[in-house]
Amino acid sequence: MTDASPPHVAPSQGPVFLDLGERLRLRGQLEAAESVARAGLAHFPALTEAHDLLARILADAGREVEAEAAWTSALGCTPGHVGALKGLAYLAFRRHDLEAAQDRLEAAAAALPHDTAILAALDRVRALRPEASLGTHATFGSPAAGMLLFDAAGLRVAGHADEAGSNAMADAAAAEAAGVTMEAARTARILGLGPWREVIVEGETARLIVVPLDDANGLLVRRPPTTPAGRLRTLAARGLAGARAWLAGDGA
Amino acid sequence: MAGRGRGMSAVAWAALLDEVTAIPGVRAAVVVAADDGLVIHEAAMGDLDSADVAALAAALVRRGARLLGTLGGGRPQVLQLGGAGGTIVAAAGPDPLWLIAVAAPEAELGRLRLLLGDRAGVMR
Repeated sequence: MTDASPPHVAPSQGPVFLDLGERLRLRGQLEAAESVARAGLAHFPALTEAHDLLARILADAGREVEAEAAWTSALGCTPGHVGALKGLAYLAFRRHDLEAAQDRLEAAAAALPHDTAILAALDRVRALRPEASLGTHATFGSPAAGMLLFDAAGLRVAGHADEAGSNAMADAAAAEAAGVTMEAARTARILGLGPWREVIVEGETARLIVVPLDDANGLLVRRPPTTPAGRLRTLAARGLAGARAWLAGDGA
Repeated sequence: MAGRGRGMSAVAWAALLDEVTAIPGVRAAVVVAADDGLVIHEAAMGDLDSADVAALAAALVRRGARLLGTLGGGRPQVLQLGGAGGTIVAAAGPDPLWLIAVAAPEAELGRLRLLLGDRAGVMR
């Protein structure tokens, strides 16, 4: 993340212009590379790799606003595209927006949980923002935040549980999360555990925490499997603060 | 169902569960079959009903697994329910076995999680 150039991506298989554009970029012939990429995009406007290539060229040229737009377009073509997530994380890091960089890298890590380069970058960003554990508001409502607010009936109120921002997945997750809260409340009551505060579920490729917001609503946070259990709790606390603000109208 | 949890001797099960209940603040330990919530082995249940613990923990594990599955999170490995008056920690062993501990608020949760994760893997 501290390199002066955006993340390198090996030329991928696809239309010839992708390989040519990448070679020109690597040689520093950015104007020619941009021409090739834009010409290619004119023919393949829905090609994710073409947007990704253009974004890398623009990032190399220091045109970061345009690069961000191109990577965002790549995500529009392929939600969860790891190259675009890494690129957006790089741009966020460059402008010292460490929270956004971390959100993007965590989304990338969710897609590639064993990618050591992503995990190392994530560790570096986390180390640079210890204040994150102290409870500032979460960016509730951003798909990258991986936070989903649901009601007791299992209906989605706001947010998403995946980087792609899939409404169908969020609706399904809300329904299942409400079932978890009902079971948690029943278990805690019968076994004398007092009011329940959290359910943490650690899976092979994701970690979840479900927490009650009030009698009517709950919050689900999804993070990569590398996320420590203690950090899940701090994220949930931030999420609850963000959810309360959202419900009060601040974030609506 | 036949054979579940029968790959270890009674002495081995007792030793495993005793390790769990030896952690200060742990009130009970039980091995359950998550698919039907039946008790396989239990230790130091105190005032808790082992059948209640097993059935409730298994139901929660199944709910957690469904949520995780909806989100493409893979097989659940650990589930933890925290309440104001205590915590349940469940660690997955060979399907369908889960090693469950019920702990008081003052229990060393980190140590308990490590032990359960370690020991759940040797159940058979």
